[in-house]
Amino acid sequence: MEFQDGFPDYETLAQHDNEAGVGVRKKLMNVFWLLLVVTLVEVCIGWFWHDIHASTHLSKTWLIITFIMFTLLKAGYIVMTFMHLGDENKWMRWMILGPYSLFIVYLIYMVNVTEGNYSGKKEHRSLLDTLPQSTQPVAPAHHE
Amino acid sequence: MSHAVAKPQGWGGGTSPLGTSHGKMFMWFFLISDALTFSGLLVALGFLRHKFADVWPVSTDVFTHFPFTHAHLPLIYVGWMTFDLILSSVTMVLAVEAGHRKDNKAVLLWMFLTIIGGAIFVGSQVWEWWIFIEGSAEGAMRWQLIDGQWVEKAFSGANLFYNEYSVTPHYANFFFCVTGFHGFHVFSGVVINIVTFIMAYTGVFERRGHYEFVEKVGLYWHFVDLVWVFVFTFFYLL
Repeated sequence: MEFQDGFPDYETLAQHDNEAGVGVRKKLMNVFWLLLVVTLVEVCIGWFWHDIHASTHLSKTWLIITFIMFTLLKAGYIVMTFMHLGDENKWMRWMILGPYSLFIVYLIYMVNVTEGNYSGKKEHRSLLDTLPQSTQPVAPAHHE
Repeated sequence: MSHAVAKPQGWGGGTSPLGTSHGKMFMWFFLISDALTFSGLLVALGFLRHKFADVWPVSTDVFTHFPFTHAHLPLIYVGWMTFDLILSSVTMVLAVEAGHRKDNKAVLLWMFLTIIGGAIFVGSQVWEWWIFIEGSAEGAMRWQLIDGQWVEKAFSGANLFYNEYSVTPHYANFFFCVTGFHGFHVFSGVVINIVTFIMAYTGVFERRGHYEFVEKVGLYWHFVDLVWVFVFTFFYLL
């Protein structure tokens, strides 16, 4: 293939005209409303969690799973739409997401699954962790 | 100028397989390394939270304040900060979109609103730090090292050694570290946004013929929002 100096003009590839802009803006606003609704739902669940827990006896694991799912949903929309990664070609997408996911899955496995399981037990706390401590339960703080 | 060309792809030579300018690509690479730093912090937070599960406070019981009122409003202020950041994110993406249409006026308007949103967020974070560090009047009983002696007495607020919210200093340390590191990113983002605004105002992008700079700044700004989504979940909600 012949070498094409100066082509393509990557900086201008994403440009569009006014008619196309209407559709793009509509899509962006839809994502905004979705992010807003998900955040409101999250705050509501956080606010009413004690009541939900008291009436349904759902374990905290379900709360954690729900929040992480919501977070990943929001993150996906931000990265794919707001950061336009969904508009890049597939090599670019993989170049960004692949190595990062690999590192993070490995890190979470190492730290929070393997090591966390081991040192989560009280008898495995190191000398550094055992400052003289009051054993009384922590009262919720109220600012006056 | 016609842009009816299809997006170049493939490894046949002559075009970039990634189909992006080097500037945007390296902005992404920078964001990946930054994301790894934040992930390291959040993973460490998860680790210590798990380790100190018996004494780790529920953030819903700590962040209950709202400016100008003494009402008990858990998470509402953090929810507002999240809303503010999402809002400034959408104004940023609209600035990027205006750049794609080469509409300098719209770029200026949306960049201005993004700067305002970012400044409000930084201010909110300052307020939250202030409340956290000052704490309640009565405080909580903590063992403290005073003049070489361990004594148990009331401690109000938080520093890197003691805090009234938990007997473990890690809680306050992670609050300062995670939200501080993120807040510094927001602060630098606001500065970069101001620079972009001035560049758009002086017509740099019009002369250049494209607004890719706005797109790259937008990448950074959305990344800051993305990190906050995770901090919001892992520090405040869980």
